[in-house]
Amino acid sequence: MAGLARGPGGDHYAERVKSGRALDVIGTLARLGLAAVWLISGGLKAVDPDQTYVAVRAYDVLPDVGVEVVAALLPWVEIAFGVLLLVGVGTRIVAVLSLALLVVFVAGVVQAWARGLSIDCGCFGGGGTVEPGQTAYVQELLRDTGFALLACWLIARPRTLASLDSRLVDSERT
Amino acid sequence: MGGAARNEKRRKQDEAARKLAAAGIKVERKTGPNRTAIIMVAVVVVFALLVGGFIFWQRSSSSADVVASYPVAVSGAVVTAGSGPVVVDTYEDYLCPQCERFETRYGDEIKTALNEGRITVKYHAIAILDRLTEPQGYSTRAANAALCAAAANIFPGYHEKLFAEQPAEGGSGLTDEQLVAFGTELGAGPDFGTCVTGGANSAAVGAETEKAAADQALQTEGTFGTPTVTVNGKKIDLNDTSWLQSAIGA
Repeated sequence: MAGLARGPGGDHYAERVKSGRALDVIGTLARLGLAAVWLISGGLKAVDPDQTYVAVRAYDVLPDVGVEVVAALLPWVEIAFGVLLLVGVGTRIVAVLSLALLVVFVAGVVQAWARGLSIDCGCFGGGGTVEPGQTAYVQELLRDTGFALLACWLIARPRTLASLDSRLVDSERT
Repeated sequence: MGGAARNEKRRKQDEAARKLAAAGIKVERKTGPNRTAIIMVAVVVVFALLVGGFIFWQRSSSSADVVASYPVAVSGAVVTAGSGPVVVDTYEDYLCPQCERFETRYGDEIKTALNEGRITVKYHAIAILDRLTEPQGYSTRAANAALCAAAANIFPGYHEKLFAEQPAEGGSGLTDEQLVAFGTELGAGPDFGTCVTGGANSAAVGAETEKAAADQALQTEGTFGTPTVTVNGKKIDLNDTSWLQSAIGA
């Protein structure tokens, strides 16, 4: 008749653990997804520096020297974010940095659209001026918004599975 | 200030923890943002910036000013520079950003090879981006001006200047006054201005552009684009950054 002795709120605790797991899985997918975005976009930019220069220049925001510097550094910063997210170290910090970079990208695309430039964002390689009818600003902005949501999730809840972060915390406790 | 406040807070927390410990209660210290993680993030990001910076430095450090000392002849819309054994043909539109990249990257190397008499360069004046300026037609006006510059004996400097001052696609391009002023700065005579504003070579540019666009040997995946470069008549892959060295066996 008497079942297992239950601690106060035991059921709730079990449920919380379960839903916590589910959230961990979602967070892990967000982390790996954002890592893939940065690694692919950074890699494509890094292998074709001239195209990256042309893409950055097409935004028509920076002076030539600034274009050179941004085009040289941006691919590697993206790859760094990708690697950090992939191994899951400093997930929240990298998510904040990712969101900041995405906001800059969105601002760049919005100003180009508002000024009537017709460019390709060059988000994943390519880029530069395109024919007036061939811009894809809406798609580009929606895509960036999606990536920003992944970053927001990780900022709000950086706990994920198979991350170096969790090991770092564990080792601190012992 | 902030640091002092934090220290005070931490001191109070430590004191409270000590009191609880004395009473036999263990509190798990809540750690803030993980310090090791912050350091690792900083290290990786700084490393990435160094990699990018190094590549940037490596790619831009070759700009020793080379003075052109080779002969230049013009025929139709083709400017022939130098008289070396290896013949390089370049097809460039003065509005094309990739052409500007090509010139920035290889301009000095080409000039040196020309000065040393290793190569002959045939610069084909191409205008395929006329529709990308408002008003349309900058590509043709610039190509015409470059041919005028060849006739005025200032082609090497003028060619370089047009790319150094390249206007953005989608803008209005440089004005005829600006195009004339560049030539005057380089020592062109009064005929140069008339040649530029009169569009003396525009028809030749149009014909050369049509001819190049129709030449299948110059096409990449079925279309002609700029820059296109051939060595002894064979189109080269511009992703190969040592194309010129291999062409002259250096």
